[in-house]
Amino acid sequence: MAGHKWGRNLLGGAAVLATIMAVVFGLPAIDRAVPADRAAPAQRHTIADGISVVPPTGALIAKRTRIGPETGSILFLIGPARYVISVEPFTGDLPEAASRLRTKIQSMRGYQVTSPETPMVTDSGLHGLGSSFTAPGRSGRYLAFVVPGRTVEVTINVSETDFQQGLVPIDESIASIAWNGGR
Amino acid sequence: MTVSQPRRWGLSVRPTPRAARALKSLRLPAFWILCALLALSAWRLGIMLHSPLARFPTATITAILLFGLWAVPFWLFIASMDFLEREPPLLMATAFAWGAMVATMAAMPGNRALLGLTAKLVSPDFAMAWGPAIASPLIEELLKALGLVMIVLVARKQINSVLDGMVYGALIGLGFQVVENIFYALNSVEMANEGDTAAPVVATFFLRGFLAGLWSHTLFSALAGAGIAWFLVRTDKTLIVRWGGLLVGMGLAWGIHFIWNSPLLMDGVGGSGVGLLIGLLLKGMPALLLAMGLLWVARHREANYYIDKLEELRDPKIATRGELHTLRHGHLRADARRYGKYRAGTAGQKAVKALQLAQAHLAVELSRAPNGLATGDPILLHSRDEVLAERQRLRVLAHPEAVASPLRPVIPRVAVLGMIAAIILCGLVFFAISAMHGA
Repeated sequence: MAGHKWGRNLLGGAAVLATIMAVVFGLPAIDRAVPADRAAPAQRHTIADGISVVPPTGALIAKRTRIGPETGSILFLIGPARYVISVEPFTGDLPEAASRLRTKIQSMRGYQVTSPETPMVTDSGLHGLGSSFTAPGRSGRYLAFVVPGRTVEVTINVSETDFQQGLVPIDESIASIAWNGGR
Repeated sequence: MTVSQPRRWGLSVRPTPRAARALKSLRLPAFWILCALLALSAWRLGIMLHSPLARFPTATITAILLFGLWAVPFWLFIASMDFLEREPPLLMATAFAWGAMVATMAAMPGNRALLGLTAKLVSPDFAMAWGPAIASPLIEELLKALGLVMIVLVARKQINSVLDGMVYGALIGLGFQVVENIFYALNSVEMANEGDTAAPVVATFFLRGFLAGLWSHTLFSALAGAGIAWFLVRTDKTLIVRWGGLLVGMGLAWGIHFIWNSPLLMDGVGGSGVGLLIGLLLKGMPALLLAMGLLWVARHREANYYIDKLEELRDPKIATRGELHTLRHGHLRADARRYGKYRAGTAGQKAVKALQLAQAHLAVELSRAPNGLATGDPILLHSRDEVLAERQRLRVLAHPEAVASPLRPVIPRVAVLGMIAAIILCGLVFFAISAMHGA
């Protein structure tokens, strides 16, 4: 009788362990095995008017819009992160572009900008200004760049607890944003 | 007074047998599997915290301290839910640790994989909108429920009522919520790219701790725990009905978590701060009311079960009729302590509490000894003597009966305080939403 109980207890414990293993290793293995039809090719993607970007490794293209030659956007999905780059006509300077984007973010209810804006420069020499924000259940970063007559707005929005490693390929992708002079 | 058995709550509790001892768990294989999982998860959690701790020590320590302190009132509330038959602290800590370490560490890769699968198999658009509502409840509720299954495997006899399941479930959820919030805070520090600053942590603390998620995981897991405990305790029901109860509990936890994470009412109703507040309340309040209602029923069924054991003694030296009535209700027990203070000062308050605890202890011991005091059982006799000693203490203070005040207000004080707290909280949330440009 005692042996029977011991065996059942072992079986129960093993079942719990097996379920956890299935979640930790099984699901990611299935995810890796399923091919992604909308995977973003690792090549430069033009968004609008000569503004282009190299997507992060493993990103999916969730949405792509193009309204005329001067306006367009691309939305990548990288695990739990949404990474959006949009190009629009704009006549102001960089602080104004950053301020405009910050206002858009803060107008979403519950969104709170958490740090002062800091400058950054892409590999091709584009100057940007951005900051971070937080909201219930997500956190993110925004950046604005200006090229003559255009603004490039970048927003990253993450709804996951552990995303520190995931930021590296996105940072690399942001650094790849370039403008070819509108040619 | 005649006590007719079995009453409605006669089968709601399966008393923990005296033979149940913590050391017996050491012989169970599930205990060692549990230890291994906790150790592995603690190691993994340590690795995950190592990097932010090295790069952002102030922010990381601030996040741990803030969310650790935030958990204290929740822990105290959960622990006080089961006044009559207190749960072993070690088992309560195990439940919390499961939620904080095993469930969180396993949920991270699972959530990410399921989100990825949703994006590939349905569409990235769908995954963005509905992924968190589908993946997180499925993975997280499963992992948290496994924590209660593990506790059942190592200490089956400790889960002897639906209330016990709710207590352990809530603690698992609380542990999960604390660690999840810490990682959200660290994420925002990482996102800020500003170095070691606590500002993003404080913003996340307010948003995750109060605005959205005041009762989230704690409540979801309490409902799942109720379902699991009902399955275990109600052995008088058919297996199909018991499975039904379990699935209802799990389904409620999953469904409420799904609604909470879904894009529905994400921006509230209408276009103002009030609209967002209404949206948050519409999403959160039905779940809170459901859980509190279930808790109320579970607490009263357990209290009635144990107090019936005292009532069967028909001995006013052990418990008068007024005391029996008082012991059945949490707010009356609290009122009796206040009345003791009013009549006999702090000593009176302490003496009333000591008598209530001694009576609760005797009631629990009576439930474990079917033949009662007549057998001369030494543990029972000792418990009875404790009650009599506490009674004598009250008599010396000229306050012989630990009952609620006859002049107490019609509406229980706890209800009034709860309403005031809810109104203040709503006001603070509205103020916060307005401050965040939401109004």
